[in-house]
Amino acid sequence: MHIVFGGAFNGKRQWVKKLVGNREHVWLEGKLPDETAPFVVVAGLEEWVRAQLENGMDEQRIRNLVGQAVCKQPFNRQLWILTDMNRGIVPVDPLERQLRDVIGRLYQELFKRAEQVTRIWYGIPQTIKGADGHENLHENR
Amino acid sequence: MAAGQLIFVSGGVRSGKSAWAEGLIRETPAKRKVYLASGRANDAEMAERIQRHRDDRKEHGWHTIEQPLQLERAVPQIAPEDAVLWDCATTWLANELYEGWEQENPCVDRQDCMEQKWSDLQKTIGQIRNRTKLFVIVSNEVLDDFIRDRTYQQWLGRIHFWLVDQSDQAYEVENGVAYRRK
Repeated sequence: MHIVFGGAFNGKRQWVKKLVGNREHVWLEGKLPDETAPFVVVAGLEEWVRAQLENGMDEQRIRNLVGQAVCKQPFNRQLWILTDMNRGIVPVDPLERQLRDVIGRLYQELFKRAEQVTRIWYGIPQTIKGADGHENLHENR
Repeated sequence: MAAGQLIFVSGGVRSGKSAWAEGLIRETPAKRKVYLASGRANDAEMAERIQRHRDDRKEHGWHTIEQPLQLERAVPQIAPEDAVLWDCATTWLANELYEGWEQENPCVDRQDCMEQKWSDLQKTIGQIRNRTKLFVIVSNEVLDDFIRDRTYQQWLGRIHFWLVDQSDQAYEVENGVAYRRK
C-alpha cells in the first residue's frame, strides 16, 4: 500500500499518473474500491468522507468501511491519494470541523498501515515512510 | 547572459520565511539589496506597518520597490549587480486576481485576464532573473487547508509548481528552520 499525500493543487494526481504509466489500473475518484483490480488508485477520499458525514454516517462506521476497502484489494496493489486539509484555521461550519477530525484520524490509521508514504510538494516527491533513511529528504529521490 | 540563481522560499504565516529569505540576500555579495514588495495599504494600520518595515529595511541598507500590481514595471529599476527579494507571490496573486473589484469587474471575472497576467509574470520573473545574480521569491503555504477560494488556490498551486520547477533551489520554512526540497 502506497500513500501519496500533500496539499491541494500540489500536483499529486499528475505525479501518480506518471508513476502508474501504462500499467493496467482502476482509478477511483471519491469512491472506495469494492472489487479487486490489478492495481487501484483511490483519489478524493475526503470527498467520499464528506458525503458520508452529510448522510449522517458516524465516524466509526466510516473508518470500518475504509478499513474493509483496504482489505478487499491485495495490499501491495493499491495507492491512495490523500489531501492534507488539516493545517488551516478551525472551520466555522460544524460539518467541516467534523470532517477535519475524521480525516485526520483516518489518515493516521492509513499512514500506519501503508508501507510507503510519499509527500508531494509542488511536484517534488519526498519519501516520508519507507525511505532509504537519508536525513535530508531531498537526497532520497 | 547566463541566468542568475532563482530560489523559491515558502512557509506558513509567521514561519520566519521572510527573515530567512532576507538572510539569503544579505549573504550574497551584491551592490544593492532590493526588496520588491507586493503589500498594499488598505487601512491606516497597514500603511503604518508598511512604512515601519520600509524604514527598518532602509536602516539596514535595503532599497525598497513597491509594486503591488504589474510587477513588470519594477524591471527597469533593477540593476545587474542587485540581489532581489520578492515578497510575496501570494499577495501579488490576490492583488492581480481581484484587481478591478472596486468597479465590480475583478480580473477573475474577465475573460483570459489572469492568463494574461500569468504570462506577463513568467516573462518578468525571467527578466529579473536574467539581470541579477540572485532572485529570491517568497510565498505562503495556504493549500493544506479546506478549499475556500478555489480559483485563487488553484492559481497559487499552479504558480508555486512553476516556481519550484524553474528554481535552482526550493525551501520550505517552518518555525524559522528551512528545509531544502530542491
